[in-house]
Amino acid sequence: MDRKQRMATRKNLTVCRLNDSARALDKAMQNAGVSSADKESFLNWAISSLWNTFKEERMNQRIMIENEVRQLGLRFPNGTVKKEYYHSFQLPVDKIDVIELSGMDELGLTLEMGKPGEFFLFGKPQKAGDFTLKLRYTTVEGEPASELNIPIAFNPSPRDLWRNVPTDPNIPYYKPDCDKEYLKVEAGKDGSPNKDIVAASQRGRSHAQEGKARDDHFSLFHCDESDWYIIAVADGAGSAKYSRKGSEVACKTVIDHCKNLLLDNPDFETSIREYEAERDNQEKRTNVTRHVIDIIYKGAMKAHEAVKKVAEANEESKIKDFATTLMFAVCKKYDFGWFIASFWVGDGAMCLFDENNKTAKLLGTPDEGEFSGQTRFLTMPEIFRDPEVVAKRLRMAIVPDFTALFLMSDGVSDPMFETDKNLNDYAKWEEFYNNLKNGFPEDEIGGVDLSDDNEAAKDQLLGWLDFWNPGNHDDRTIAILY
Amino acid sequence: MRRLPVYLLIDTSGSMRGEPIESVKVGLEAMVSSLRQDPFALESVNISIITYDREVKQILPLTPLDELQLPEITTPESGPTHTGQALKLLCEKIDQEVRLSTPDQKGDWMPLLFLMTDGKPSDSQLYKEMIPEVKKRHFASIIACAAGMSAKTEPLKELTNEVYSLDTVDSTAFKKFFKWVSDSIGVGNRSIGATEDLVLPPPPAEVNVII
Repeated sequence: MDRKQRMATRKNLTVCRLNDSARALDKAMQNAGVSSADKESFLNWAISSLWNTFKEERMNQRIMIENEVRQLGLRFPNGTVKKEYYHSFQLPVDKIDVIELSGMDELGLTLEMGKPGEFFLFGKPQKAGDFTLKLRYTTVEGEPASELNIPIAFNPSPRDLWRNVPTDPNIPYYKPDCDKEYLKVEAGKDGSPNKDIVAASQRGRSHAQEGKARDDHFSLFHCDESDWYIIAVADGAGSAKYSRKGSEVACKTVIDHCKNLLLDNPDFETSIREYEAERDNQEKRTNVTRHVIDIIYKGAMKAHEAVKKVAEANEESKIKDFATTLMFAVCKKYDFGWFIASFWVGDGAMCLFDENNKTAKLLGTPDEGEFSGQTRFLTMPEIFRDPEVVAKRLRMAIVPDFTALFLMSDGVSDPMFETDKNLNDYAKWEEFYNNLKNGFPEDEIGGVDLSDDNEAAKDQLLGWLDFWNPGNHDDRTIAILY
Repeated sequence: MRRLPVYLLIDTSGSMRGEPIESVKVGLEAMVSSLRQDPFALESVNISIITYDREVKQILPLTPLDELQLPEITTPESGPTHTGQALKLLCEKIDQEVRLSTPDQKGDWMPLLFLMTDGKPSDSQLYKEMIPEVKKRHFASIIACAAGMSAKTEPLKELTNEVYSLDTVDSTAFKKFFKWVSDSIGVGNRSIGATEDLVLPPPPAEVNVII
């Protein structure tokens, strides 16, 4: 058989089969009692009603699948502007097809399928706000595409939200929003370098946001005649309305008090030398301690009194409106090494850091409560009523040398150390020192060059205080004797 | 990171059904989006929502603001208001969720509590018993709001000095109320440090101060 013949045969076969089917249908209708007159209208009725059932079933099937997809409870977690977004989720690809997520391009997101049924939504959101993505998919052939709205929210990047509102210079007790100082002590006659002090204080972002004043304060002093260094750092309580003045008065008062007592005090100097020569001699120790109490402890008390006086002079305020912490240290270099005495009430950190001997000695214990932000203040009278006050808050040390003496408010110590345990960990102090020197290049924060007589260090230090740390936006103050 | 825990206790008893609860939802949404514009809040505020009617549920565990998605809030047809039970669950959740300072961990900021009701506690005995328990939890501030004319302020005054009332329970009132709540959270964020009392921003005209 040639090709033509074969095709003709096949056509005949098909026609025969169709005829067979028609005959079978006729027979079935005849058996059911459909008269030949009714045949056509019956067929029309049967087909249209079956078609409706078919459509209904198809729709029901779509609805079932839609419900199934809805019951997955698809939710997209929130994202943050300029931060990588990534979310994976599952879809029943055995039941749905031609899946797309409309609206994602505008939001900077892309959808990709990994293994069958596994989807990844990723990208870098550019715009903050609440948006809706439309998940579109097909279910049953012939049915319209299904849609499901899924909300997605992008938070603004917190860094973009901070404002820097200058403090109104007309407020009572105004002080500038930042401060910096480099206290250069010229090299000795023999050319050997002398330690310098660098300090900076920056208003916290939380204050800048609202145009509120900086509450921290620092004061530095070096007495050229006696060669004593005096450093004070105070942190005014955020919730006390005039704490900016409290911290200032506290710092200035202790500097003045110590300066006067240290200027020409041969008895004290002798007692230090004698104590150094005989460290085990209790009497010699008591002798120095007596002087230290006069200078340091009385200085703190005077600071308390001075703040109280300012508060009393202001009719509509109480001392607690001036609440402030205070830490200060006096230091002097002798031929045998350094003598350091200090007082500390409140939080923050005061530490004698020695890179060569790998030690970090805290000059006291930070006052911290159960909750964040709870501390004690110089302005609380009970501080001085505590019989343990001298033992708790006064420190005295003699060391051959050190890398740096740090005094800082909790605006610096909280983000850098977080816990009390870390404050007592030398490794953390080493890390801190490196952070200080290297800055945070990923955030474009430069380091501080702590080489001798580098007066630019004060600007570097002020810039460094702008480091980023989520949730830590308090005023930041640091003073470094190095 | 230090968190500012904020607990919202919302009355979902039968009388809140319909417009009042819808208005609360609108208010909550406005509150969240307003807080999201505050950089400090974005980094520190954590919110938990407890609803109370016959049943008491924590419908949102303490969640950072940036991750927060408001859950569904439902109200039964009718039934009692178990405010005491809600305070009990609150105390349990505070104990579980709020972190205190230890040598190894920085504690959270002191938590804030906002309680809203349109009636009075049905379980008044338990409510009375729970008040000293709540006070032991050291909230930086407890703010109670009596919404609508049938809300009783007397029991709220036993819980806190900060009692406010809303004359109406429509969306305008709740929107204003929750805006003020978010402003107060903002203040809570910043003024923590020294004093025991939080100075709240002045409430809007729709919110009455109960003395």
